[in-house]
Amino acid sequence: MLIQVENLTHIYNQGTPFERVALREVNLEIEAGERIGILGPTGSGKSTLVQHLAGLLKPTAGRVLLEGTPIHSKGATARKLRLQVGLAFQYPEDQIFEQTVFREVAFGPRNLGLDEAEVAARVNWALEMVGLDPVAVAQRMPFTLSGGEMRRVALASILAMRPRVLILDEPTAGQDPQGRRALLDKVGAWQRETNMTLIVVSHALEDLARLVERVIALREGRVVADGPTRQVLSDVKLLRAIGLDVPQPVALLQALRQAGKEVRVDRFLPAEAASEIARVWGLRGSVT
Amino acid sequence: MRPFIEIENLKYVYPSFIPPHAGGQRGGGGQIVALRGVNLTIEQGEFVALIGPNGSGKSTLARHLNALLLPTAGAVWIDGLRTSDAHNVWAVRQKVGMVFQNPDNQIVATTVEEDVAFGPENMGLPADEIRHRVDDALAAVGLLDYRQYPPQMLSGGQKQLVAIAGALAARPSCIVFDEPTSMLDPVGRRQVLDTIRRLNAEEGITVLLITHSMSEAAMAQRVLVMEAGRMVMDGPPAIVFERGARLRALGLDLPPIVDIAQRLQAWGLPLPQGVLTVQDMVDALC
Ligand SMILES: Nc1ncnc2c1ncn2[C@@H]1O[C@H](COP(=O)(O)OP(=O)(O)OP(=O)(O)O)[C@@H](O)[C@H]1O
Ligand SMILES: Nc1ncnc2c1ncn2[C@@H]1O[C@H](COP(=O)(O)OP(=O)(O)O)[C@@H](O)[C@H]1O
Ligand SMILES: [Mg+2]
Ligand SMILES: [Mg+2]
Repeated sequence: MLIQVENLTHIYNQGTPFERVALREVNLEIEAGERIGILGPTGSGKSTLVQHLAGLLKPTAGRVLLEGTPIHSKGATARKLRLQVGLAFQYPEDQIFEQTVFREVAFGPRNLGLDEAEVAARVNWALEMVGLDPVAVAQRMPFTLSGGEMRRVALASILAMRPRVLILDEPTAGQDPQGRRALLDKVGAWQRETNMTLIVVSHALEDLARLVERVIALREGRVVADGPTRQVLSDVKLLRAIGLDVPQPVALLQALRQAGKEVRVDRFLPAEAASEIARVWGLRGSVT
Repeated sequence: MRPFIEIENLKYVYPSFIPPHAGGQRGGGGQIVALRGVNLTIEQGEFVALIGPNGSGKSTLARHLNALLLPTAGAVWIDGLRTSDAHNVWAVRQKVGMVFQNPDNQIVATTVEEDVAFGPENMGLPADEIRHRVDDALAAVGLLDYRQYPPQMLSGGQKQLVAIAGALAARPSCIVFDEPTSMLDPVGRRQVLDTIRRLNAEEGITVLLITHSMSEAAMAQRVLVMEAGRMVMDGPPAIVFERGARLRALGLDLPPIVDIAQRLQAWGLPLPQGVLTVQDMVDALC
């Protein structure tokens, strides 16, 4: 087992008027090579959970094990394991601190002790992964980039470390539609190539449908669903209960079903929904 | 009468910052031309969406509408006031409010009502006028019951509503929303979009909504598309979203329902023009 979360509870500002319970006795097991999505409304504990998986927070109670070793234990083994987990923060401003894009993305690889040629190669590779032109952006100051560009830099700086466990907290917020899709496709392809473990936090069910095979849903700090992507994402009752939108293609198929048409409703992407409608309406040339 | 917003051949070049110690790679230097000659008019009361790929100049354009940035060349008039005349700046900022993406960066005070009062206090208004404005603004976004709350106890969507109330307290004619929903969950997104629509429909506030969500853009009366510092499309959503191939080439996409409709049409299903919503589609199919 790669990651075990045991009875994890996290309380911010415990004992003050601002006390917030962010996680309540969460238990999870994650195998190496899994592709997992985490969803849930704002404040449900997603960001807190992934920061624990990266060893960045100390539990109020319970613990996180990485390959059987408690993530916070002292000593070289735990430190080495923690270095293999890369978390791209929800807010890039929380993560970016260098003066140029190059130095920002190079920071992690340099920390890994790579030589400068390898560092430069990593930086170029990572910037290309997120759809930025290395020549155009490498010497720019991160805080003078557009919102979407800055987020891409934050993602690149994590990718450049080539972690074995890659965690992305709402990676596509503020990305333009094709950039978003390209990023998901590239990360997905890279995951398959390397068989790394991928954990993605997102409200965008379409993104999860494209990228992950298992979805964990949180609500008020508890795990309320954990199962295969299609199953969780077509559980309309669950999605409504946790305040998430049904993707528009699914909403359309449901409306058609209510109108008496025999369509399947677990089709999240426009192309899939169109094929399903075409099938039921007997359109030709629509076989995909 | 002149249009509320008039932009004439607007060019903007960001001054270049190259940190002194930056060596090694070439190419990042030089100035960044963010706007390359934008012409645009928006009438009082319009609801306009602005879409475009990352880095195309949307936020740069937005910052010109309340004189946060001034044109390198060309001109911007707000309600007839030229933004580059120094004595117009405060009047322009009063007429055009701004709401940004990150709910946490926009809130300054320790309670909701203090936060909303911040603008009117800075304008030096008398105390009962301030109270009036705060009440009206909180009522307009549906947060009167939360006036005493510390902002950190609110959800992301509610924080954005506080930011909107803060903008409203200046009694602007227009609000520019720069990706107000990008960081929100679907519930927060709906709260914010419903509020934006209501402010436009009921209070007559001119809205410019910058978004990466094609479905949000489809709610507007008019959609503007930017690419590389230029305005490349301008029309009602039904017309703009007809051009799927062009939009995709720009890095954009279609709203999912329009995408489905176009695929079905290509496969020979007759559908009426302008299918934008689930309801439109169900009406057409059943
Ligand atoms: N403060 C700045 N200094 C220098 N260049 C800037 C600055 N802000 C933006 N730019 C550059 O100007 C161009 C337009 O940026 P802008 O922020 O307007 O884009 P945008 O369309 O809002 O993008 P996004 O969708 O990512 O928010 C980009 O090339 C960007 O890198
Ligand atoms: N740094 C922090 N200090 C205090 N409370 C926090 C902090 N970060 C998160 N919280 C609170 O913890 C809860 C869970 O937050 P978070 O993990 O950010 O949820 P999500 O990522 O699902 O939106 C919320 O009630 C939030 O207000
Ligand atoms: Mg979060
Ligand atoms: Mg922007």
